Amino acid sequence: MSANAHRPAEALKGLVRRQYFWGIVAIALLLLVNLIKDPGYLAFSIGSSGNLVGNVIDILRAAAPIILIAVGMCLVVATGGIDLSVGSVMVVAGAVSMEFLSGAPDTVGSGLAAIGLVIAVSAALGAVNGVLVSVVGLQPFISTLVIMLAGRGLAKVITGGQNTAATNESFRWIANGYVLGLPVVFLLALLLALAMGFLVRRSALGLMLEAIGMDAKAARLAGVNRRALLFTVYILGGVLAGFAGVFATASVMTVDVSRTGYQLELDAILAVVIGGTSLAGGKFNITGAVVGAILIATLDKTVVFLGVSSSATPAFKAVVIVVLCLLQSERVRRAFRQRRAATARPAEREAVAA
Amino acid sequence: MSARQRIAKALGAATVGALALGLTACGGDSGGDDLTTIGFVAVGPEGAWREANETNIQDTFTEEAGYELKYAPATNLDQKSQIDAFTSFVDEGVDVILLSATEATGWEDSLKRAQEAEIPVILLDRGIEPDDTDLYVTRIAPDNIEVSTAVADWAVSAFPDGANYFVLEGPAGVSVVNERNEGFDAVASGQPGLVKVGAQTANWSTEEAKGVVETVLKSNDNDVQFIFAQNDEMGLGAVQAVQEAGLTPGVDVKIATIDGTKNALESLAAGELSFVAEYNPLFGETALEVVEKVLDGGDVESSIVVPSATFDSPEAAETALPDRKF
Repeated sequence: MSANAHRPAEALKGLVRRQYFWGIVAIALLLLVNLIKDPGYLAFSIGSSGNLVGNVIDILRAAAPIILIAVGMCLVVATGGIDLSVGSVMVVAGAVSMEFLSGAPDTVGSGLAAIGLVIAVSAALGAVNGVLVSVVGLQPFISTLVIMLAGRGLAKVITGGQNTAATNESFRWIANGYVLGLPVVFLLALLLALAMGFLVRRSALGLMLEAIGMDAKAARLAGVNRRALLFTVYILGGVLAGFAGVFATASVMTVDVSRTGYQLELDAILAVVIGGTSLAGGKFNITGAVVGAILIATLDKTVVFLGVSSSATPAFKAVVIVVLCLLQSERVRRAFRQRRAATARPAEREAVAA
Repeated sequence: MSARQRIAKALGAATVGALALGLTACGGDSGGDDLTTIGFVAVGPEGAWREANETNIQDTFTEEAGYELKYAPATNLDQKSQIDAFTSFVDEGVDVILLSATEATGWEDSLKRAQEAEIPVILLDRGIEPDDTDLYVTRIAPDNIEVSTAVADWAVSAFPDGANYFVLEGPAGVSVVNERNEGFDAVASGQPGLVKVGAQTANWSTEEAKGVVETVLKSNDNDVQFIFAQNDEMGLGAVQAVQEAGLTPGVDVKIATIDGTKNALESLAAGELSFVAEYNPLFGETALEVVEKVLDGGDVESSIVVPSATFDSPEAAETALPDRKF
């Protein structure tokens, strides 16, 4: 098949073979649909404070929290686990920061203190997951489900059941500010994702996580410290979700105890799967998770841009996701290739005979 | 926490069920004390409006007034948890059930069970669909259609030259959303000047409303003069999106909301919102009167409307703010 392939073509083929390639295709298609509706869709303009303004910027901003929880989820899934608590950790992070900031002066210091507090609280929640999974040995599904249910309750206790608002310019800047014309949230999310990528791929950490996911016993016999690694991974997942919670609440400076982060664990799992990480564990792809997260944000924004009615929105999203999964499925693609080959071969033979 | 509650509830239901088997002949009023038990199937944390409403109900049906109120908020606005709570109240044999349904549909079976057990059900705020008045005693609520008509009437007078408008809806299928659309559309559709550029749900949430409005403004090249937000939280999100698009809320884009919470009135006083229609949550007293009447065997209307006010200027908001309870 690849007898006469050139080098760039081979590189392209490598990309095509990646699961997340289809995610990129889907993003491009969605953007194209928007572009057909409005030819100016991809246009940028310069906003009042020298920042870029445009639909794509909005998408990147909306993608930021999903990127973070997807990256965290990706690492957890690599070990063969799952983290259902990310949405709830987000709302706890939001509740903690809003409750703290509503009583604190509007200074950079209190903004930083709020972030510090969020890191501490979300790491603690992640640690509970980690202990339940690695020390107690509970199923990850069950232990993170506990935190998922308890977390939202905890957020309600922290804010007294109220949606809480606060003012703090520096905290608000995280979600609404710009650096070099690009939104701070997206840059931060990308930076954290890159940092995670380097951490796990430039060291043996990634391999060890995959080893645990493939066969925990074999990994232990090979000298991988399963307990410590699982513990670390769940804490990382928690902290990343905490940052996602900061992003989500800082955008409007309000925490909505029943809505912030609600069902976002499903978005995270979806992003991870679109990115080519197997839920069975033992294999992960952080770039893919980022692509998946951007796809979900693009889909959300497309629904609004096209003016799909509220009642049809879930169906529209489902159709896009199903089509994407079909495209990704090796079996469906093979069926397509065989059909193409079957129609191409007789033509070839005729050409030789002629 | 929620899991524990559920286990406790399940255990409670099981015990009550076992007791009921032994005491079927004793009827509902088997409690040792003289308190009337009220089961309140509530919505739980949703926003400032709901908070005011449910606190008001809880503060009205006190032990001093002769009631024991069992408060059962839904888990994350989930209807299933409400149905579970409703069923266990029926099994328990409470005297009256107050119901604020998170979803309009799917209540027939539960309501029939209550009817068989001869427990009167009073709907608070949210209605049910199909609206079968035989299944409940009465519905006490401010009239959504009346309130949203007030918003539309204001929009007609505020935009004599017409305007493009966008609607921020609550979750699709909820009766409040349908009624608020109905009242608004009845007036707005008769006005050729008012052009609807679209409607989308933002699930009552500030954060989602901001995201929706930022995209809507771009897809219409900022050519939207009026946004009708079906609750205060979404209206406040719209204000932030309008500001970020470099427009001035109240001048370039006028935003009207329904509910009349303190935050919205503060925003109206600051000139960011342009119109706030109150959806009065404080009807505990009315509910109390109805419950007493029903327990005495009296007849009540199948629908009781709670009167609501509207605020159309910063001054009106400032006057109302000092003694705002919600």
